[in-house]
Amino acid sequence: MRIPPKVTQVLAVALLGGATLLTVVVLVFVIVFVLGKGLPEVTWEFLSTNPKDMGRAGGILPTLVGTILLPLLAIAIALPLGVGTAVYLTEYTRETRVTRALRFGTDCLAGIPSIIFGLFGFIFFVVGLKMGWCLLSGGLTLAIMVLPTIIRTSEEAIRAVPKSWREVSFSLGATRWETVLKVVLPNALPGIVTGVMLGIGRSIGETAAVIFTAGSALRMPVSAFDSVRTMSVHFYILAREGISTEKAYATAAVLIISVLLVNLIAYGMMHRFIARRAR
Amino acid sequence: MIQDSPAKITIRDLRVFHGQEESLRGVTLDIPANQVLGIIGPSGAGKTTFLRALNRLNDLVPDMHAEGQILLDGKDIYHPAFDVVALRKRVGMLFALPVALPMSIYENVVYGPRLSGVRNKARLDEVVERSLKAAFLWDEVKDRLQMSGLRLSGGQQQRLCLARVLAMEELEVILLDEPCSGLDPISTAKIEEALTILKEKYTIILVTNNTKQAARVADETAFFLMGDMVEYGPTEKIFTVPDDKRTNDYVTGRFG
Repeated sequence: MRIPPKVTQVLAVALLGGATLLTVVVLVFVIVFVLGKGLPEVTWEFLSTNPKDMGRAGGILPTLVGTILLPLLAIAIALPLGVGTAVYLTEYTRETRVTRALRFGTDCLAGIPSIIFGLFGFIFFVVGLKMGWCLLSGGLTLAIMVLPTIIRTSEEAIRAVPKSWREVSFSLGATRWETVLKVVLPNALPGIVTGVMLGIGRSIGETAAVIFTAGSALRMPVSAFDSVRTMSVHFYILAREGISTEKAYATAAVLIISVLLVNLIAYGMMHRFIARRAR
Repeated sequence: MIQDSPAKITIRDLRVFHGQEESLRGVTLDIPANQVLGIIGPSGAGKTTFLRALNRLNDLVPDMHAEGQILLDGKDIYHPAFDVVALRKRVGMLFALPVALPMSIYENVVYGPRLSGVRNKARLDEVVERSLKAAFLWDEVKDRLQMSGLRLSGGQQQRLCLARVLAMEELEVILLDEPCSGLDPISTAKIEEALTILKEKYTIILVTNNTKQAARVADETAFFLMGDMVEYGPTEKIFTVPDDKRTNDYVTGRFG
């Protein structure tokens, strides 16, 4: 009754290959579909001018700026906090019930729907602290949202640094902090960058939490207390309110290309960093 | 052998506990300066635990603690006021497996001096050359000091680790934890040759699984068994007419 190993082998290859193919096809289809519909509309003028008539005409410059500023602000806040927490949890505490509880809490936080963060940001920053809908409220909210991801990926990356390297560092008279700076963090960096990329990706794609906290003003932001609209929000509003399907697709195309660029730049930077160290 | 000069390291009833288990059960020993002390014994005898008590590396293991006294030049290294960072600069360690840090050969060697605040490039260059020469590695790497230390062979990495220890200006004692266990005979010979020269300047404690190595290099030898120090004396005596039958059994290869 046993199926011959040769047959199972062929079946396995076919099934695994099929799964891979399906994944890639779906991915490529989404990208090609959006780019195909959107790219013809994307011109230099589209990128470099302000929208007119609620986005029915004109470009997306303010939303492009918003899409750059908001995630950058979020990461600038979340990165030191997240990496600091990860270093503290891995290097400065022993594995106890408290650290386990903290880790469990972080994992739960990572799974909370973004709109809950949006609601919290709205109640706490926008209303409670009277900050209003603005870049800073949005940045803080997104920072809280991506913090768990950054903590957990940094923690994994720090844990992956061999224990023997730390021992050598200590044996040469380094303090824990010197060991963290000279041995642990440089070698955990690729993993930390991965966490940051995930965080930027989540921030760029976020709509719900952004609308609640940064608002959706179409003006060019000039200070941290101005409301901004990101491309994701712009896309959502254009499509949801039936303002302009063409402009919506064009915005989506720019969004996809931006995410691609961010990833390429990050991988390039990481590659150079690793190559420099492993010379 | 009775020492005229005071011992470099005085150990009184040293006990090390790993959780409930007592891995070292009361070691008392005077380690004289400028000699190679060999420590032999089967695995699980507490040799490594003993060594790591001397630079307090055991402190890093959560449920490990030591009792008794270890005096370095008469100062209790487990005293709360004793600076453990300064201790590790004076008592360097070579591990069983060569661990080059993921940085250049040059940066590996100057790791200790940089921590001690040496910034002067010329002085660092001089430290690198002196240390690598003392570890018999200079000729092999002098043209590629900026290459990653990880790209050296195992034997070269272990000599790099030795150079890294020797680069510390505060260094007085060198602990070696089976430093040749993974090395080929030629690399082993180079390390042993380095040790016989280095003992003129430093106090050396060599844990080894290879009894022949102890016989070749050590001036005095201690035999450890299951957490006890069974016997301690001049190497020649330990290997020819030991007092304890268990020592005799071990050095003649009847067990271990």
